[in-house]
Amino acid sequence: MKHQGKCAVEEPQIIIDVGDGAAIPKPSDKGLVSAWRLSFAGALLVLGYLLVFHPDPYLRIFKFIPDGILITFQVTVCSIALALVFGLITGLGRISRNKYVNLVASTYVEIVRGVPLLVQLFYIYYALGRIVHVPDLLAAVLSMSVCYGAYMGEVFRAGILAIPTGQTEAARSLGFSRTQTMYYVVLPQAWRTILPPVGNEFIALLKDTSLVSILGVADLLRRGREFASESFLYFETFTMVAVVYLIITLVLSKLVSIMEERLSHHVKR
Amino acid sequence: MSNDNPIIRITDVSKYFDTVAALTHVSLDIGQGEKVVIIGPSGSGKSTLLRTINRLEDISTGRIVVDGFDLDDKTVDINKVRMEVGMVFQSFNLFPHKTVLQNLTLAPIKLKGMSEKEADVMARQLLDKVGILEKADVFPAKLSGGQQQRVAIARALAMSPKIMLFDEPTSALDPEMIGEVLDVMVKLAREGMTMVCVTHEMGFAREVADRIVFMDEGQILEIATPAQFYTNPQHPRTQKFLEQIL
Amino acid sequence: MVKNFVLALMLVAMTASPTLAKTIVFATDATWPPMEFVGPDKKITGLAVDLMEAAGKEAGFTPEFKAVAWDGIFAGLASGKYDAICSSVTITDERKAAMDFSTPYMQVKQALVIPKKSDAKCIENMKGKTLGAQISTTGHFAVKKSEGVKDKSYDEVGLAFEDLFNGRIDGVVCDDPVAKLYALKKDNYKDAMKIACIIPADDEMYGVAVKKGDKETLALINKGLEAVKKKGIEKEILTKWLGTAE
Repeated sequence: MKHQGKCAVEEPQIIIDVGDGAAIPKPSDKGLVSAWRLSFAGALLVLGYLLVFHPDPYLRIFKFIPDGILITFQVTVCSIALALVFGLITGLGRISRNKYVNLVASTYVEIVRGVPLLVQLFYIYYALGRIVHVPDLLAAVLSMSVCYGAYMGEVFRAGILAIPTGQTEAARSLGFSRTQTMYYVVLPQAWRTILPPVGNEFIALLKDTSLVSILGVADLLRRGREFASESFLYFETFTMVAVVYLIITLVLSKLVSIMEERLSHHVKR
Repeated sequence: MSNDNPIIRITDVSKYFDTVAALTHVSLDIGQGEKVVIIGPSGSGKSTLLRTINRLEDISTGRIVVDGFDLDDKTVDINKVRMEVGMVFQSFNLFPHKTVLQNLTLAPIKLKGMSEKEADVMARQLLDKVGILEKADVFPAKLSGGQQQRVAIARALAMSPKIMLFDEPTSALDPEMIGEVLDVMVKLAREGMTMVCVTHEMGFAREVADRIVFMDEGQILEIATPAQFYTNPQHPRTQKFLEQIL
Repeated sequence: MVKNFVLALMLVAMTASPTLAKTIVFATDATWPPMEFVGPDKKITGLAVDLMEAAGKEAGFTPEFKAVAWDGIFAGLASGKYDAICSSVTITDERKAAMDFSTPYMQVKQALVIPKKSDAKCIENMKGKTLGAQISTTGHFAVKKSEGVKDKSYDEVGLAFEDLFNGRIDGVVCDDPVAKLYALKKDNYKDAMKIACIIPADDEMYGVAVKKGDKETLALINKGLEAVKKKGIEKEILTKWLGTAE
């Protein structure tokens, strides 16, 4: 048998299309000036400048939107948590050997990926609203996580499949069951490969929460729209809204990169 | 040879991948404490045969009984059987997210309910045995191939198996590291472990094997003691194979 | 020669056309039946549309309607995306500061719509309840002004009614012609909702908004509106859409 060409321990390498999330800072971007630092410092400077030197109307706007920020934050956090659960279940379902489980998971992914999020939001809230009365925040969280669960399911699937079969075989040969192998051996490793694309999904999700404003959920964008259309201060209001979104997104992307680093520092060669 | 009460009994086993036969009518009994080396050209089915012993490969027909457990019996918990059969792979397959020590203790703790302390002591003894105790708290990626393979052997031993399977354990190693791994295997053989090895290491086979099994095209063509095998091979294809490699 | 002739002709055409029939582009949030909405033929229709068409005929301009989302409608006027807004815009002091208004063409009040089974009399009985309204309409302002009432804003008033119908909110506040249409005329809704009261406040006047300082457009519209009123056409239109001229 020829085995010369084979590398001993294969570094799991997968290429997963990144969404439209903000760029997560790479460990290599550690220099004094990185795109992340530049944007973050810039956003804070703009915010500070506007609030201090033009308190009217920027401070008024800033005082109007905090509950919107809170809602955006809540929807994001709850949706991420739930989407992770949906994503994991879907990812496992997609690689399941049970063909019914597989079919259900694949169909879910196909349907969700084929319907725009905005339409899904309308559908869960207004169309299904005639049958079940889902409160608006819950409907928002459900729609976001059902949608992103499907996207993340694909990421999970790819991440799990990227773990060399040798890992599974080693675990199985020690006596681990299929489930134990997944839990103790495959997932902890897959998580490393999965995190960067999942982080991108987190950020895309955060930004997409702005869509829930159409359900009348008073998130950051809706608060901004209310203020703008009442005061006619469109430029000022949306400048403020954009800067606040940018700051939240940059903070989240930093968190993801910190997590990434923690997970990978000990496996680095 | 103690084949009266074999610990592994392979009876008329065939395996097909789709329509291609990987194994055809293979029978082999292996006694307690016996060391069997399987040799054969590439694609002869030797690795497949080895992997059927802990059912990493299913078989199409035939019967395999390991330590009294019929592997195709639905009531047999294959995971229980696997705990008694250690396996060492060509590509080591250490868990990269665990330290060397954790690689050894994971299975005993999770599967045997061993306490962490107990497992720790046991694991350190095994690492000492394979000569790599000083790397206990290092991650596998920091080790050389030879070191990784020794850890892999220790990891398999941590479950106190009755049988050890080796699937070309030195094929992925740089030449200067082969010796350190073979030394560990020889040591293990001396202790009386039942071993089934697929390997090209003729020196090892000559020194350690009770029997050498020659396979080609999914069939066992010849079974002999090392002395017979190397000096007086019976089957023409064995002769040809030996001519090529020696 | 010919060239000069053509040029002269073009010059005449260019100067003459505005006086022949100037086109005025009106922005409208066509989700506000019966005032302005998208009909089954996908064209923007409604009371206000009829009114502007009649006014155009009288004053010599061609109205053209453009669908625009409500919460951006004033921004578009300021940036010159259209000439005027005819979209049930209530004339308020804040709005007057930002744009110019035509003479009022209709008088409306804010109506509170609640479920049929509710026994609330008016907005003062709605403490702790959630009332819906279209974002930044005078109805929305009225809800916000009421103490102890939670407001929920929607992109379209229809979505607010749907939420009321589905039981997610406790009432909707909007202009009375709209309230009448939804609560008294629409299938499903008319069995489930009622108009609780007209919220006591100063009367509201709808006016057509034009960009601050755009006297030419304003004069045309005012001229048309005046003629329509004098000739009794306005009454016909009101009767056609509301069932009464009151």
